[in-house]
Amino acid sequence: MMTFNHSCIIDDDPISVFGMKRSMKKVNFSKTIEVYHNGQEAIDGITAMVAAGQKIPSVIFLDLNMPIMDGWEFLENFTKIPNTNTDYVTIFIVSSSVNPRDIIRAKEYSIVNNYILKPIQPKDLLKVLSEIKAQ
Amino acid sequence: MAMVDKELNFINYSSIWFEELGIQKGDIRGKSFFEVVPNTPRIFKNILKNCLKQTDVTKIEQQHTLPNGSSQWYKWRVKPCKDREGNVAGLIISSENITRLKRTKELLETTENVARIGGWELDLLTNKIQWSDITKEIHEVPLSYVPSIDTAMQFYKEGEHREKIRKLIENAIEKGESWDTELQIVTASGKDLWVRAKGVPELINGKIVRLFGVFQDIDTIKRAELENEIIVERLKIATAAANVGIWEYHLWDNTQSWDDRMYALYGVKKESFTKSFEAWLSCIHPDDKEKVLLEIDMALRGEKEFKTKFRVVLPSGDIRHIKAIATLQEDKAGNRIKMIGTNWDITELINTQLKLDKSQESLKGSFESSAVGMSLVGVDGSWLDVNESLCKSLGYTREEMMQLTFQDITHPDDLDEDLEYLQALLDGKSDSYQLEKRYFHKKGHIVYIILTVTAVKDISGNVSHFISQILDITSRIEATKKSNELLKVSKSQNESLTNFAHIVSHNLRSHSSNLSMLINYLMEEEDEEERKELESMILDASESLNETVQHLNEVVSIKTDIQDQLQDLNLLEGIRSVVKNISGLLKDRKVQCKIDINEDEKIKAVPAYLDSILLNLFTNSIKYCSPDKPPIINITAKKTGDMVTLEFTDNGLGIDLDRHGDKIFGMYKTFHKHKDAKGIGLFITKNQIEAMNGKIQVRSKVNEGTTFIISFLSANTTIK
Repeated sequence: MMTFNHSCIIDDDPISVFGMKRSMKKVNFSKTIEVYHNGQEAIDGITAMVAAGQKIPSVIFLDLNMPIMDGWEFLENFTKIPNTNTDYVTIFIVSSSVNPRDIIRAKEYSIVNNYILKPIQPKDLLKVLSEIKAQ
Repeated sequence: MAMVDKELNFINYSSIWFEELGIQKGDIRGKSFFEVVPNTPRIFKNILKNCLKQTDVTKIEQQHTLPNGSSQWYKWRVKPCKDREGNVAGLIISSENITRLKRTKELLETTENVARIGGWELDLLTNKIQWSDITKEIHEVPLSYVPSIDTAMQFYKEGEHREKIRKLIENAIEKGESWDTELQIVTASGKDLWVRAKGVPELINGKIVRLFGVFQDIDTIKRAELENEIIVERLKIATAAANVGIWEYHLWDNTQSWDDRMYALYGVKKESFTKSFEAWLSCIHPDDKEKVLLEIDMALRGEKEFKTKFRVVLPSGDIRHIKAIATLQEDKAGNRIKMIGTNWDITELINTQLKLDKSQESLKGSFESSAVGMSLVGVDGSWLDVNESLCKSLGYTREEMMQLTFQDITHPDDLDEDLEYLQALLDGKSDSYQLEKRYFHKKGHIVYIILTVTAVKDISGNVSHFISQILDITSRIEATKKSNELLKVSKSQNESLTNFAHIVSHNLRSHSSNLSMLINYLMEEEDEEERKELESMILDASESLNETVQHLNEVVSIKTDIQDQLQDLNLLEGIRSVVKNISGLLKDRKVQCKIDINEDEKIKAVPAYLDSILLNLFTNSIKYCSPDKPPIINITAKKTGDMVTLEFTDNGLGIDLDRHGDKIFGMYKTFHKHKDAKGIGLFITKNQIEAMNGKIQVRSKVNEGTTFIISFLSANTTIK
């Protein structure tokens, strides 16, 4: 079983984050899991990592509805972080929205790999792992 | 008569001789002829001497100048007389004054010359033909020309002319008939010429021996005559075609003569018409008789030309309109002898005129009473006439309108297009156009119209004026505008409803998915510590779910159809009441409130909504106040038109409008990291304001503060 070094959760709902982390641990998804509570925090954090020369998370689970900076804004801003090798990063949108508009919009971003409906379950994570492995 | 001897001395004489020749009476015997008869031409002496040698009578016609200076013609007959031995002894001379005869002949010849009348004769015994000089001249042959019967006939123009003269000559020879006719000859130089040929046969012992006659050049007259005939014929055709009757009124015997067309015009039979003035008058319509009589009298007195119109009543009872013109004719002495003139039928014209008048009248009527604005516009753009509807649409009186041009009242942005179309009409490129444009009402507001302009042309095809129809569509445009606004509102409402549905679904799903996830974990968790934590999380999740449902209830309870619940509320009182309710909070946070609102300012609002709106604004300002400065809230209001605008300003954190401007009033949009931020307050506030026909806008700078600008309907405003 392959395991990622760094992964990251961007979600403002603490229960949702708790569930995600628990599922990830269960499938041994990655060595470290970084948690940000909104887009702005995540951008700031990742920018700091890049500046410090650290490796940024290779898998990001992104919620859409968040205060201050929502998921969409994060997507716009993430690609603008200087010196980021975005090819190396895979983003999964994790949302409870079943609005088709959101699902279609998510597909417009090449950096977004898939759209996962909440609650996220271990089998979803296993699927993600196998997909990335195939690539 | 006188006798002279061989030496031409008088032997004897008659007394008349003296008188005749104007010689002094006395004994002239033995005196020489030339001594006695003065002024005898020299040549006469030779003649007389010559006579002595002759036996026959010699006739001489000679002109003499008498002692009194007058000139006389004499015809002399000189006959030699013989003695017993038969020798010539002398001359018997008789003289006859032929002056008168000679003069008559001269006159005739002159006349012949002037009138170009020539003579001719044909001796049937010798078949010889004689032409006088004039006749030769007419034929354009030299005087030496000798005509024969055949050549003479050849001069007549081939065909009917030659045929006719041949027949006439035959008739004359066979039946002794004379002729007098007009024929065409072709002269020696090839010219066609009209001549009058007259011939008379001469009978001797019942046998025709000679034909003679005259030959006259009548070409000029004949051609003029023929020309005249053509003109007369043309005139005839013209008068017939124009249905013009010609009449004469003979003043001396009170009769009239009519041409055929007159009878047709009056529907009277030629046989039964008595031709009297009264008979004519009886045909005239009773109502017009007096006028016609007066006109005739005036014409006869020379006061006025006879030029009138009247009606005649036909025997069938039909009425015909007649136009009549006449002139007076006078004889050489200046006496008026007749009136001569024309009558023509103008019934159709009159009827057409009547129809035209009627249609003009009805046009005028519909022009005036039309609900559509109408105007007649000159080619220079000035009004020729405007109707009531147009004046009403634009708020001017007719007098005021007539002082303006259409350019004056046209919206400047629409003028060029109109003028362009108008020019096309003037250039004849089109006959009419239609466009939607704007006029200005007298009061200054815009009047929307549909303008239809039609060019009216005069007989020569030039544009004489324009007819404009102006349909006021202001109410329609206003209605369209209103329905467009309604459409916009319902569209945005529909959008927000869809949005709301998704938000509801999202929020409920996020809580329910959390719950189901937590319950799943709880079921498989055996560690008691972990289970406790999971249970408290389940409690949190269910509380969040409950809160969300409450929010949704609140949103759903905002009714958009609250027009009947709107009340006139005092704005200042409303604000004071909220301030009082949250006075504890304000005091706790040391908030400074500055309220500058007119005490009488009243708005239309639902009390509960106004409360909720103000409360939300206050709590927002407190919630997002700056940690570095004491919070200050400024509230002002001013009335503009039908609206009262409230400005609610704080000095708090502010919102980055460049980033969040479009989402600030959205549901579940939060912009600050604050534990109480739910993203529902402003969403509800906005919906409540809009439900009361108001508007909310925001102005903000990060770390400087936020101003919400809210407009409410002013009290006493009628809601459309």
